[in-house]
Amino acid sequence: MWQQLQEELGPHGLSIIAVAIDSDVDAVREWAAHSPELNVLIDRDYIVAERYGIVNVPATVWIDEDGHIVRPADTAMGDDRFRAFAHIDSSVHHDLLRAWVLRNERDLSDREVATNMERPTRELQLARLHRRVAVLLHDRGDAFGASAHLSAAEALAPYDWVIRRGSMPMHDVDPFGTEFFSFVEEWQSAGSPGYRLRTGRED
Amino acid sequence: MATVINEAEHIEVEAELGNRWLMQPEAFTALTGWTLKPEGLCRDELCAPIYHPEKVLSYGLIDLQEAAPIIGLCAVTDPERGVAALTVSAPERAQQMVSLRAPDFTLQNLSGKPVSLHDFNRRKVLLLAWSSW
Repeated sequence: MWQQLQEELGPHGLSIIAVAIDSDVDAVREWAAHSPELNVLIDRDYIVAERYGIVNVPATVWIDEDGHIVRPADTAMGDDRFRAFAHIDSSVHHDLLRAWVLRNERDLSDREVATNMERPTRELQLARLHRRVAVLLHDRGDAFGASAHLSAAEALAPYDWVIRRGSMPMHDVDPFGTEFFSFVEEWQSAGSPGYRLRTGRED
Repeated sequence: MATVINEAEHIEVEAELGNRWLMQPEAFTALTGWTLKPEGLCRDELCAPIYHPEKVLSYGLIDLQEAAPIIGLCAVTDPERGVAALTVSAPERAQQMVSLRAPDFTLQNLSGKPVSLHDFNRRKVLLLAWSSW
């Protein structure tokens, strides 16, 4: 769907930059092959996640022509594949996007944008740095060192999906397996933290 | 030699690595842009006082982990493996976020070509964060 939105709204001034918060470049390549219209970039060090306060994927941020953020990190789905799980009607976000691109209409004020920014804690910043160290050690073949830093990151940011779930492939853990579902339960019993904006939420 | 991951950049630095990550003042300045002076850590006209020199300094060397928060940075150091990482501190990032200015970034595309946010100047941008996991 993002591919279709790029085709539909590109001529009206929209560029979609698809940032893969991922260390598996081959997996990114496979996905990107289905979306040739999108600008696909790879963020192994979670640079964009840190700068824009992204704690889960998929997430979108809207930036206007003047480099001004007009919508902070929002849980936005390309389609309704995960609707039963995420309880989000994806078309709500897409319609708001059309209104913004075609008619310059915004549904959030600057104040609401600022309030909904996921401002980091010291622990979250440290967790992101531990993850960067882990990626470097992993690349150097130091699996033990990488694992020590991933564990440190997870302990510092236990409810950050990008840290917790994003580290599973590096731990050789299935990100769709039992450990993932026990993480989801843990996160829900903590009150589902880190989800400020969920446009199109149905619950 | 040791490696510091400064945002997306990997920098080789001289450091004295034991239980702590200690750096010669010149190497610290080359890395961070801040200089050790009698008033504290200084950049241009600005000086940040060092309130706990016993933690930050050791025989004329600077402890990177302890010095980082003084200059608005956050650091993780692993002296055993010779790898450290630096980014902006949480309060700095929070302040930057509420300004609503979109921070620039440069990442590689699938052909290895660097692409920056500012390449999309004068267009509306939808930043889509996604992953294969």
